[in-house]
Amino acid sequence: MNNKRRVLSALFLLLAISLSQPLLGQRKSPASDSIKIPFETYKLSNGLTVILSEDHTTPTVAVDIWYHVGSKNEMPGRTGFAHLFEHVMFTGSGHVPYGMHDKLTEGVGGGNNGSTTNDRTNYYETIPSNYLESALWLESDRMGFLLDKLDIAKLNAQRDVVKNERRQSYDNQPYGRVSEIFSAAMYPKDHPYSWPVIGSMTDLTAASEEDVKAFFRVYYAPNNATLAVVGDFDPKQAKAWIQKYFTDLPQGKMVERPKVPLGKLDASKRLVYEDRVQVPRLYMQYPTVGFKNDDDYALSVMSSILSGSRTARLTKALVYDTQMASQIGAFQNSSEDVGVFQVVVIPRPEHSLTELEGAVDQVIQKFISEGPTAEELQKAKSGLELGFIRGLESNLGKANQLINGAIFYGNPGYFSTDYQKTLAVTAADVKRVASQYLSRSRIVLSVVPKGKKDQASKATESETVSMVVGKGGR
Amino acid sequence: MKTQKKALAFAAALVISLANIAALAQQTLDRTAVPPPGPTPVLHVPTWTKTQLANGATLIVSERHGLPLVSFTITFLGGSNQFEPAAKRGVASMTASMLSEGTTTKTGDQLSDALQLLGSGINSGVGGEDGSLGFVSTTKNFEATLAILADEMLNSTFPADALDRLRGRTLVGLTQAKDQPVVVGAQVFAKILYGNAHPYGQRVTETSVKSITRDDVVAFAKAYYQPGRAIITVVGDTTPLKARAAVEKGLAAWAKAGDKPSFDYPKLPELQPAKIYLVDKPGAAQSVFNIGLPGPPRNTPDYFALQVLNTILGGQFQSRLNANIREQKGYSYGVNSNFGYGKGPGAFRAGGSIFSAKTDAALIEFMKELKGIVGEKPVTDEELKGAKESLIQGLPQRFASVSAISNAITSLVVQGLPDDYFQQYEKNVSAVTKEDVLRVAKHYIDLDHLAIVIVGDRSAVEASLKATNIAPITYIDIEGNPAGN
Repeated sequence: MNNKRRVLSALFLLLAISLSQPLLGQRKSPASDSIKIPFETYKLSNGLTVILSEDHTTPTVAVDIWYHVGSKNEMPGRTGFAHLFEHVMFTGSGHVPYGMHDKLTEGVGGGNNGSTTNDRTNYYETIPSNYLESALWLESDRMGFLLDKLDIAKLNAQRDVVKNERRQSYDNQPYGRVSEIFSAAMYPKDHPYSWPVIGSMTDLTAASEEDVKAFFRVYYAPNNATLAVVGDFDPKQAKAWIQKYFTDLPQGKMVERPKVPLGKLDASKRLVYEDRVQVPRLYMQYPTVGFKNDDDYALSVMSSILSGSRTARLTKALVYDTQMASQIGAFQNSSEDVGVFQVVVIPRPEHSLTELEGAVDQVIQKFISEGPTAEELQKAKSGLELGFIRGLESNLGKANQLINGAIFYGNPGYFSTDYQKTLAVTAADVKRVASQYLSRSRIVLSVVPKGKKDQASKATESETVSMVVGKGGR
Repeated sequence: MKTQKKALAFAAALVISLANIAALAQQTLDRTAVPPPGPTPVLHVPTWTKTQLANGATLIVSERHGLPLVSFTITFLGGSNQFEPAAKRGVASMTASMLSEGTTTKTGDQLSDALQLLGSGINSGVGGEDGSLGFVSTTKNFEATLAILADEMLNSTFPADALDRLRGRTLVGLTQAKDQPVVVGAQVFAKILYGNAHPYGQRVTETSVKSITRDDVVAFAKAYYQPGRAIITVVGDTTPLKARAAVEKGLAAWAKAGDKPSFDYPKLPELQPAKIYLVDKPGAAQSVFNIGLPGPPRNTPDYFALQVLNTILGGQFQSRLNANIREQKGYSYGVNSNFGYGKGPGAFRAGGSIFSAKTDAALIEFMKELKGIVGEKPVTDEELKGAKESLIQGLPQRFASVSAISNAITSLVVQGLPDDYFQQYEKNVSAVTKEDVLRVAKHYIDLDHLAIVIVGDRSAVEASLKATNIAPITYIDIEGNPAGN
């Protein structure tokens, strides 16, 4: 889901936060000692990576599994499968009847959910600590025996739910089609990041039972998964249970990881989309890099220098000084292989999108030529420590950080490297990425009220986008 | 990292040594057997101290030392419903935002920069029945952040140009809200249930926002931010002694004034016979449902029975409503129900976003489930047991972070609940019987007087809705006024 993906990029910013070095000018800080997550990790013989981290603050545990599969592993024409599984996985498996999963989680005062991005899918249970064994049983059964009980009726029921999710989060949502428009415009057809995580209505309708099962067999094996248990548990006992429930699940085939090219625009594009809205919005997107590229750190720091606080460059200029905008945001939105830097502006009524585009460009041009001040850089990094420590209050938050490191960097403790790399970003780094990425070709998208294409930024040069609303319906 | 390498080596050894045991275990592992839970963990309810400051404010301190974090909140009893004139709806929220626009010694930019360097931010807001100012900081930055909060609360200058800017931005937000079917649905629902004369039915409008002057803001701030109605809650890496000293120093200039407000509300408008209120949203892919009527206040003796009832009806994923309408029928991405407990008659509401083509079918199912819970399909022993267990075992989650603990403790004072509320919680939930659930369902879910508010594409849903014969249809606009036929 796209909004979950956004939640995640905030998380990566948070992740870009972690360990051990005192912040600038706060060397005496005792806080830095607390910025750590004690953990141990090992692998089962079938390839399942296991991470354990104790925290006895409250009598609760988080069980979290990430499969290294996302929408980018899908084929054109068969999109939306990774996310569809996020739903199917909660409908029972070989030895677990439908409804049991919820009964043993929220039914005992806990919770469960999943989320899907372009890159990975996660499943978790948050439970009172005396329900750890049953949570491991649930997760192992759907990893090993999901297909035993998956039939077309079950598939159709969840397909309908997903279509409703699509209607709710995209189609019936003002500005809800923007991310799809950008993905399609930023990447060539058939590029793995060119389709939305939730998939298209047509593909969801067309998927056969066999298509879906084949996808599961490839990507949902222990060797493509990482399991974390975080919270109030006895590690000896937890290891025995993990052994008991997971060790006999067969290893799957090696998963091929395709080499995905970065987004690249040969020329800038200017688009206009008519939506059922009254207030127009201006969006700009520049192709950048994914989170495994070190430039991601400087791009993230740059985003908090440009927006987020009232003295951030774009916010101060457009919302406070000239007051042309009601709101403005700038984000580095990065995935495993690709990334984009996005600016979104909501105008005040008296100001046109053309005017706003000019004003944004002026601020960016000035920033490219002078770079950030020392104080701007320090402000951007100062919130990192608090954000990281607050993340340690949640078992699930810690589990996600540890697995993120394990899956993408082969090291659950990667958050400390991440934190240090963010602290190490210099003014020169930020100036360089500003000039390197914000001088490039870009996509400018105006979302305007129906029948008001003339409200687009540089309307006469803008190409109209028409989105087909799914016909999976009536 | 050293610890990690050690862990890896240890793990490798473990894998080998466990391999044999595992092989044995596999032969006998019966995967159909649901693993039984271990012994129920002991519930540790946080403890706290409650004292009175010289200026009349209540100070609550709760220690939690695992991480170097402190949560600080000043909660004010009473909110926009008690302190805002009906014609000036919005002045409370605008005043809360204006606190950060500058003080006698610092500009808004300087306040913002100082907070950014401390790595924190101050949350400021006023809701219907209470308001707050607060932050979470690292232990070492606690006093410095508190000093900024005190400056904003006591020395704000409320610059007129900032008010104009804020007004302009608020107006854009109000326009955008009209395009959000979910927001429109909630607003229209409140207006139909409570009418214009009751604060629960009022909302911020373009007209009220345009009428707010700087004098209104100054007057609101002066009348509202007073210690006599304040609860100061400090939770985290501190002690009652340290916290009190820090608060007395940081808020030394906050002079005694103000008292607790009364929460008298006007009488509710007379209940109307059940009706469908249809708000036209041409082209909408979904119909947004809000079904309900005014309910009981938080201090009702029926609270625990209602919590059990709602858990069974629509409080969880596998509750009756969602299990039927989302999971079995596939009409929605999710539906639920809740009671809007407050000092006054908060609403009972069931609803969700429904695929446009299934609007009529979903309404039939909603009504079936509501009829079921009031008697046609009585609560089973299993449902009762499950709901109670879920409520009781969910309690520790309310103490999972410093800000969660702060909310949990403060809510007791705000709602006038006893200090041993959490200790008594299990006993009170356990005491609820099936008869209690049926009685409160019949009493509070009055099927003859439900307001059924649907925001959707009239041309697509009208005919089929009529054919359900569930209730007559009235047409209203997005402001909740009659739209004509």
